[in-house]
Amino acid sequence: MPAYMKPGELPSRAGLVVVGGGVIGCSIAREATRFTSDVVVLEKEADVACGTSKANNAEVHSGIGEDAGTLKQKLNVRGNRMYDDFVRGLGVELKRQGLLIVVTQRAIPRDGGMSEDERMELLTRKIPEGIVAYGKNAGIEGLRTLSREEVFRMEPNVTREAVAGVFDPTYGLISPYKLTIALAEHAVINGARVFLNTTVTGFRVEDGAVRAVITDRGEIETSLVVNAAGVFADEVADMAGAGGFVIHPRKGATLLFDRQVTAEYVRSSVAEFRLPGQRTTQSKGGGAMPTAEGNLQLGPTAIEVEDKYDTSISAEEIEEIFERFHYLLPDFPRDALISAFSGVRAPTLEEDFVIGASEAVRGFVNVAGIQSPGLASAPAIAEMVLGILHDLGLPREPRPDFDPVRPAPPKFSELSNAERNRLIREDPRWGNVICRCETVTEMEVVNAIHSIIPATNMDAVKRRTRTGMGRCQGGFCHNRVAAILARELGIPVTAVTKDGEGSPVFLGAAKEFLGGGQA
Amino acid sequence: MSAVRRPQCVVIGAGPAGLGAALAAREAGLSDVMLLERDFELGGILPQCIHDGFGSIVFEQVLTGPQYAQRFIDRVERAGIEVKLNTMVLEMRGDRRITAVNPADGVFELEPSSIVLAMGCRERTRHQVMIPGYRPAGVICAGAAQRDINIEGLMPGRRAVILGSGDIGLIMARRLTLEGAEVEGVYEIMDHPGGLTRNVVQCLHDYDIPLHLSHTVTFIHGRKRVEAVTVARVGEDLKPLRDTERRVPCDTLVLSVGLIPENELSKQAGVQLDPLTGGPVVDETMHTSVEGIFACGNVVCVFDLVDWVTQTAETAGRGAAEYVLEAGRRKRGPAVRVTAGRNVKFVVPQLVRRPERGVDFFFRVEHPERAARTRVLVDGEELYSRKAKMVRPPEMIKAGADPGKAARGPENVTVEVVAEEEEA
Repeated sequence: MPAYMKPGELPSRAGLVVVGGGVIGCSIAREATRFTSDVVVLEKEADVACGTSKANNAEVHSGIGEDAGTLKQKLNVRGNRMYDDFVRGLGVELKRQGLLIVVTQRAIPRDGGMSEDERMELLTRKIPEGIVAYGKNAGIEGLRTLSREEVFRMEPNVTREAVAGVFDPTYGLISPYKLTIALAEHAVINGARVFLNTTVTGFRVEDGAVRAVITDRGEIETSLVVNAAGVFADEVADMAGAGGFVIHPRKGATLLFDRQVTAEYVRSSVAEFRLPGQRTTQSKGGGAMPTAEGNLQLGPTAIEVEDKYDTSISAEEIEEIFERFHYLLPDFPRDALISAFSGVRAPTLEEDFVIGASEAVRGFVNVAGIQSPGLASAPAIAEMVLGILHDLGLPREPRPDFDPVRPAPPKFSELSNAERNRLIREDPRWGNVICRCETVTEMEVVNAIHSIIPATNMDAVKRRTRTGMGRCQGGFCHNRVAAILARELGIPVTAVTKDGEGSPVFLGAAKEFLGGGQA
Repeated sequence: MSAVRRPQCVVIGAGPAGLGAALAAREAGLSDVMLLERDFELGGILPQCIHDGFGSIVFEQVLTGPQYAQRFIDRVERAGIEVKLNTMVLEMRGDRRITAVNPADGVFELEPSSIVLAMGCRERTRHQVMIPGYRPAGVICAGAAQRDINIEGLMPGRRAVILGSGDIGLIMARRLTLEGAEVEGVYEIMDHPGGLTRNVVQCLHDYDIPLHLSHTVTFIHGRKRVEAVTVARVGEDLKPLRDTERRVPCDTLVLSVGLIPENELSKQAGVQLDPLTGGPVVDETMHTSVEGIFACGNVVCVFDLVDWVTQTAETAGRGAAEYVLEAGRRKRGPAVRVTAGRNVKFVVPQLVRRPERGVDFFFRVEHPERAARTRVLVDGEELYSRKAKMVRPPEMIKAGADPGKAARGPENVTVEVVAEEEEA
């Protein structure tokens, strides 16, 4: 483990402190390292990407779903365009599979008081053309209308109730946690320091300017703070007296399916066109889409919750998702479900991004209210925040020594047999398959544990390697991964956690609960 | 890469099915049999099954899992069968080309004359039975918990709730208790236990562990580690009755909610699967729909007795040997479909090709029934009939018949369970 990640070794000062190791915080930190190496990221969890960033639908939206004139739409459209450059050198794949918006019979019910000809004219021509025009106006390129036949040619499994469609080719998919990890590692390669298990507890503000960040591990003097604390951004801002906005957590649940069953079910992301009044939730409606790694996912829901930590999924949510998508994909194999999870979005009351330098506290920049399409907007958000930071004193001159590449470790499942054999000859651990559902080898687990942002728990290894992500959900490999973690970290197996403090995988050794006077 | 090897038979998986099949193939005359196992030892799931009850049919003795496995492991060693451990099959094609990997050989290819599939099964997870809630540490499948305790020497929890009364769930209720953990109770969604009666008695009654029938878990609490589960009674539609919900504090939820045959490789090779069993459609020699590929044990359907896994394995091994030794001189005859009749959920084998030989049919009933009779009918003619005081879904039934002895046909083979009074 790198020395700077050991407890108690917080630096006494830093040029820039980013609060929050999600995709937004890490994007900003990585962009900042193009200008300075004096960057610190503080994350309260045991890994980066542990909040909203790990539980979204991995979509790089185009901006078509956003309201005109919002900051969200502006940054989304720009962010989408920036993405290929943004991920270059990171070793994380962006797939531009496109979005198919399906217009169905139920978009305008038959009893709407219009003739059938008028209705079909609306459904097959005016609505699709309207969507394309709306997108063009927002600056989204390549949108085109589709006939019913073209819809089925593109996605044979969608409902026969489809009457027309719109294809939005710039829509993409990227693994949000792999992207976040890669950004954090790239920032570290360029001099940034990432501190995990570190909670911000306050700020020192003097003469209307930020002077220091106070954490549960000590204080860091700084004159520049970026608040990218996700659902906690309002609380973090209030600690500095730089608040004035409220984050009301909104849960979104997603169902994830076995990729062997569902890999071919849809090729692009598929969403159904619904008039605003027909939406049952505040979500844009979600869709059926492959993940960056080929599992199909359905969702998300949108439910206001009290608790910012409420990442549970209810029976009603599971049923709601199945019901919602039963219409769009009638023959969908329900029993291929392998996982269901929730993330908590961070909307403000205005439902728009809150990005800007605090007027009350100089040097304090809020990057808050970042919910969907936050992942898609990340490059543009980072660009905008860098502009603000430059104005506040961050060096403007690009560093000549900025390293543009974050080396990504090889993935056994993606290699040719010749490459696999070359690696196995170098180290036989490349030939030892640990996770059989996802074909992950021992060496990949070892590499994850010793990576730049070390994976120190089961979920952190999982996010980097896919161990336990398959159809058996870790039944066969959990104890093997735990044993490797214990061996590589030099800790007892009983100290291995699922995702950091308080989540031990095992509660003791066998026989340990016996005795104590028991018969 | 080394040259492609062409063994006479490759057996995939070295649990009881694979061990039995490899031995039978060797004993039936094949000199070049290779056994591939992804784990670091032979025996499959048996080494972790340290309770007894194995071998009462095959050895007429009561053995533990490791003892049962060892008898086969010793014979496999003596027979000179080539064993490759830590070996994962990455790909299997319909033309029987296999790509596998291990740390010693790297990635290598095999083109055997026959294959026996013996990959066993895996456990159904919480999401496949749609248990809502959080995703904390402490939710574990019963078989995985068994491995943790019995092989790794690690306790998955101190205070457990068990969902599902299948045999592994029942055995783990006792195991956890014996290890000093507390089992709050076993909850079963059906109105009857899912495991063998002897396990209900020996694992729950003997230890005063309550069994709650018609109950399920409706929520998992705890963000980091399980803190509690909510349980509820279910109605006749198996849906939870919300007003019966009650929160049970625990640190672990052990799931014993079913097993799924592991047929990912079978699918790759284009082997036809039976939606009722989740495994390959086989004939009386355990031959699948793909020429030269046989299957046995839990990859075909989930058995409740290892002895019967062994029996299907021996049939498959002999079948593979015969296939190789006859080297295509015999064309596969047309198959007669075996029909699952009254109160029969599924039957293995699903096809009968050579009626001149005796066939053992393995099947499960759909619902418990008292005073019943199991029958095998060939074109209406009763070739097997046996009285049973009680038939229950967890207890698989074997019925041996000789379809070739029928006066006519066979054009139709039916396995059924009839109530005694329906006869006459």
